[in-house]
Amino acid sequence: MLLKLAWRNIWKNKRRSLITLAAVVFAAVMAIAMRGIQLGTYALNIRSVVELFSGYLQIQNKNYLNNPSLSANFSVHNNIINALKTTKGILGYAPRIYADGLISYKDNSRGAAIFGIEPDKEKNVTTFVQNINSGKFFTSDSSNEIVVGEQLLKNLDAKIGDEVVLLAQCYDGTLGNQKFKIVGTVKLGVQELEASLIFMGLKSAQSLLIMGGKVNVIAVKADNLKNLGAIENSLSEKIKNPDLRILTWNKVNPELEQAIQLDNVSGIFFLGILIVIVAFGILNTVLMSVIERFKEFGVVLAIGMPQMNLTYLVYIETLLLTFIGLFIGNVLGAAVNYFLIIHPITFGGELKQLYEIYHFLPQLRSTLEPSIFLNVSLSILTISLLSCLYPAYKVYKLEALKGIRHT
Amino acid sequence: MEILKAERLVKIYQDNGVPVSALNNINLTVSKGEYVVIAGPSGSGKTTLLNLLGALDKPTEGRIYFEGEDITTKDKNELSKIRLHKLGFIFQAYNLIPVLTAIENIEFSMMLLGISDKERKEKALALMDELGIKELANKRPNEMSGGQQQRVAVARAIVNNPSVVLADEPTANLDSVTAGHLLDLMEQMNSEKNITFIFSSHDKNVIDRAKRLIILKDGRIDN
Ligand SMILES: Nc1ncnc2c1ncn2[C@@H]1O[C@H](COP(=O)(O)OP(=O)(O)O)[C@@H](O)[C@H]1O
Ligand SMILES: [Mg+2]
Repeated sequence: MLLKLAWRNIWKNKRRSLITLAAVVFAAVMAIAMRGIQLGTYALNIRSVVELFSGYLQIQNKNYLNNPSLSANFSVHNNIINALKTTKGILGYAPRIYADGLISYKDNSRGAAIFGIEPDKEKNVTTFVQNINSGKFFTSDSSNEIVVGEQLLKNLDAKIGDEVVLLAQCYDGTLGNQKFKIVGTVKLGVQELEASLIFMGLKSAQSLLIMGGKVNVIAVKADNLKNLGAIENSLSEKIKNPDLRILTWNKVNPELEQAIQLDNVSGIFFLGILIVIVAFGILNTVLMSVIERFKEFGVVLAIGMPQMNLTYLVYIETLLLTFIGLFIGNVLGAAVNYFLIIHPITFGGELKQLYEIYHFLPQLRSTLEPSIFLNVSLSILTISLLSCLYPAYKVYKLEALKGIRHT
Repeated sequence: MEILKAERLVKIYQDNGVPVSALNNINLTVSKGEYVVIAGPSGSGKTTLLNLLGALDKPTEGRIYFEGEDITTKDKNELSKIRLHKLGFIFQAYNLIPVLTAIENIEFSMMLLGISDKERKEKALALMDELGIKELANKRPNEMSGGQQQRVAVARAIVNNPSVVLADEPTANLDSVTAGHLLDLMEQMNSEKNITFIFSSHDKNVIDRAKRLIILKDGRIDN
């Protein structure tokens, strides 16, 4: 009967209830859409960055993160390969060597960031091979063919097909020195890197640097960003090698994670403001609806209705409105987010350039991630319960006679 | 059997810090089944006295015994329980719950007692039948006349079989014919069900029909 009473009270003052409802719906849709765009875009950007270079996870020598040098290496034992092949959610893996060196063409010399990779495996992990800008990617990982950054080619004043000399300090401390042939260039959208980047076959790099069968890093691609923790655990359990570390993308790219966290905080802050505004709206309408009924409340208190029941009534009324509002808001919010997944917002101009600096796609995309709906709904529910506290307190303190006399 | 007893009641209101004496040394005893009218001019303290007898307010001084128990020392929740279980109220402005139909208004106080849905319906309908207001069952207060609303209010007040029904000027908003019908109804309930009625009025027709009359003047009994 309390529920019936609450329901009818809500519809007695349609206009006010609809305003409250609209506030809840508006807040829910705004919050869901905003969070959807933020989290959807983060996921998009993380994927584009990790697929551009780092991979979703990396297996590294434990010293490599702090001191990326040839000495931070490890052998790719069978148990590692088995672990990678048997862990659920792993789509591919690619062993790499990294070394600093010098590249010379005629009179020009430039610093070089040398990556030894296996193109066949790298295809399953990153977009290196697809990012070929001119020429071709080498196919054998033991040839003397290399692919260089577009900018490096320009800086050297070289052309595709030219022979260059690479000089690097080897693992054993001696200087390695070998001729290579440029067969293509890549553009990754990272100017700095493009001015020094060199890809060569993993085996060629191992022989240039006297690394035997060793590598520095294995980059791993996972089927999504969410299960990385499980993959990380499973890998470390299977590999059980204290000299190795398994790092998720955010440990490999801490700056990316920080940038996202910063943006996320500002988003949550904005949401907070939105929700506080709605809270005041609810407080206002509930308070009005309560004060308006002081006389009615006084009468039922006189009849002997327990004060607490009357307080519940106020809560039930607000909760009913909030639940209806959240239901509508979630449905509309899901529709908006779904639309933005199918039709992402793509932009150009300065914003696009800014995004490209961070290797982000110039795109806003959304997500239907359930946690967004849950968090937004819980926040609005909490705030509406909180906004009810004061009106409910007034009702709790109302005396029958004061109510009856209230005009 | 003595049901209500007031001893040396004094009520002094504070009106913005100014003390206003509303009742002064009231002694009164009401027995089971009595039909009492409290009369007196406006401002004489009728409402104040009914509020005290109805456990809605506390006296500044004096004691009130309800069925032998001192109710002036009880707290808010205990008084609320006494009102729910033992008392019925009829108000001048009817004061039905606007969003509930007549029968739901009558069921309301039974609901507060935790009586089951089915039993509530049956009891409410039976009572409405007895009071001749069955056809109002599904009407909302704003679809009923004043007289009709007040009959529903009477039903609401007596449905839980209270020991005492208190009514503050129940006929003040009704024309004399309708008021007469309402009085018939209350007298009928008084004699048939032995329900004790205490109500206030300054209407001559009502006062003439009183079985026991208490006249208030300036907060004192003036019989
Ligand atoms: N809440 C109150 N605050 C201050 N004075 C009051 C209050 N209620 C009643 N009074 C005063 O007490 C006196 C008695 O009032 P009341 O009991 O309402 O009389 P009646 O019902 O006979 O008209 C009046 O002088 C009135 O002004
Ligand atoms: Mg009065």
